[in-house]
Amino acid sequence: MNCRGVLRAWALAALCSGLQAQDSSTVGMPARLRDLVLPGTELEVVNGDSRAPVALRIVAARPHGDGFRYELEYWGLDPGAHDLRPYLRRKDGTSTADLPAIAVQVNSVLAEPGLVAPHDPAPNVVPGFGGYRTWMVAGGVAWAVGLIALLAAGRKRHGVLRAAPQRPRTLAEHLRPLVERAMRGELSREERSQLELSLVAYWRRRLALDERRPTEMLSELRRHAEAGPLLQSLEDWLHRPEPARDVDLQRLLAPYRDLPAEVLETAELESATGGAR
Amino acid sequence: MPTTTTRVPSTDLSQTQDFIQGVRARVGTVVVGQDVVVERLLIALFSGGHILLQGVPGLAKTLLVSALSKSIDLGFARVQFTIDLLPSDILGAEVLDQRTNEFRVRKGPIFTNLLLADEINRAAPKVQGALLEAMQERKVTIGNENFRLPAPFLVIATQNPVEQAGTFELPEAQLDRFMLVHRLEYPSRDEEREILARNAALGVKRQDKGAVVQTEFDVLDQKPVGSTEEIVAAMEAVNSIHVSETFVDHVVELVNRTRVHPDVELGCSPRAGISLIKASRARALMHRRAYVIPEDLYALAEDAMLHRMRLKYGAVAEGRTSKHVLADILRSMGGSAATPAGA
Repeated sequence: MNCRGVLRAWALAALCSGLQAQDSSTVGMPARLRDLVLPGTELEVVNGDSRAPVALRIVAARPHGDGFRYELEYWGLDPGAHDLRPYLRRKDGTSTADLPAIAVQVNSVLAEPGLVAPHDPAPNVVPGFGGYRTWMVAGGVAWAVGLIALLAAGRKRHGVLRAAPQRPRTLAEHLRPLVERAMRGELSREERSQLELSLVAYWRRRLALDERRPTEMLSELRRHAEAGPLLQSLEDWLHRPEPARDVDLQRLLAPYRDLPAEVLETAELESATGGAR
Repeated sequence: MPTTTTRVPSTDLSQTQDFIQGVRARVGTVVVGQDVVVERLLIALFSGGHILLQGVPGLAKTLLVSALSKSIDLGFARVQFTIDLLPSDILGAEVLDQRTNEFRVRKGPIFTNLLLADEINRAAPKVQGALLEAMQERKVTIGNENFRLPAPFLVIATQNPVEQAGTFELPEAQLDRFMLVHRLEYPSRDEEREILARNAALGVKRQDKGAVVQTEFDVLDQKPVGSTEEIVAAMEAVNSIHVSETFVDHVVELVNRTRVHPDVELGCSPRAGISLIKASRARALMHRRAYVIPEDLYALAEDAMLHRMRLKYGAVAEGRTSKHVLADILRSMGGSAATPAGA
């Protein structure tokens, strides 16, 4: 027997003695295999299945002759005899067929019958009408019916509004009853104010002075051949404490008595109010 | 309806109107244009209100007020408002007289007839508050003693509308104390030409052993064209101006429309209506009328109402201003766009 043979025999003897000394543990508890000499190139742990019955890690690896001396730590997760070889591989990718068996024993500390797995739950039958699909279809139909009802109600209301529009009164419509009452001498104090302001508004629109500043607008009206005398007469009638002359309301307001409703709402003011001249 | 007070005979009205024309002509010798501002100042003076002038620097606000005071023989004081001004700097304070070892009152510049509060928004709120309180009550308390302010008493405040950094904006309640807030505008091209020509002709004035360049203030004729008695007569004449029921209704309608306008959060107070009628009376007098007419209302609406309106946030965000809204309201006066047919 040459020197290499002696070394191998010694290594196997050491391996066997080591395994005998550290090869058992209990479920879940760590145990170590120390000074385990394994032949060949360096080994590493296979990142394996989390459900494997043994979890293994290499604590230390040192060169030892042709092989390496390892310190391994393992956790047995299932009771029984296990071989650690499947959890190891060569770092250089070569075969591990020449490895000897690394047998460990994991014991259970539980009394017989040991670990008891829970029963699988029996499937329950869902009671009630229909399933998920039925309810989804029913909900969709209800939503569609509601939407159609809302649209129908909206159309009906819109139709009612169109049938009876709240048309704002035109300036002419506002002015006409005031003029009528003024000519009959029935104007109240407040209506006199409205009449004057309405006549100013009438002439402002008629002469297209809306964009002018109020003072400029009134100055323009004062200079106008028709509006000027009207404003002067209104001033005498409504504001002067002692009128310098009597104001003939019948003659003054007659041109504004029969103004068409649209007269001041259209652009053709001059032609439409020809009767007021 | 407001009843007119003691009627002033038309001959007296004529004298008052001559006095007003004289003042306007005198101011016009040094201030070019700005006729409307002069009119507003006289309106405030004759109707016992105060006026705030808003305008950028260089529109002759100070010169105008100075010219007005010298034209009417009134006391005039100017206070430049700054951030470190104290109420006692305006009202006065008690100081220790070391000869008699007693406190004596040193009256402030507010004891005058015409007080120019230049750039009022630059002073701290406590100073603004002290001035505005004196404006309303027309008396000042210094120490434990009350002092009545001289009559007539008119505060003409100015405010620069563009430089707002480091200023304290007058709140609505204090702005309301001003009867009128007038916004000055730039002069027309012709007026500006005249201003430049007059300024170029000012020349140099010899003073002591040297000379100084003359300003418009130097050419103010020191001799007044009117006396305090004439101002009193003008104030009485304003009170004699007839206000018709119709005019009062116009004012009520206008003020009410500011309260219901959809863009307005805070409409005009009754004080706006009071100011409008007072100012309209003074304007009527200045236009040689013994009664007010709608022109007075339209002419003074902006100055009497804009500072008493606050717009809604949404309207401001859309770029609307009080001026736009008031223009809308004035345009809608007499119309009935919101009234349904047959109502």
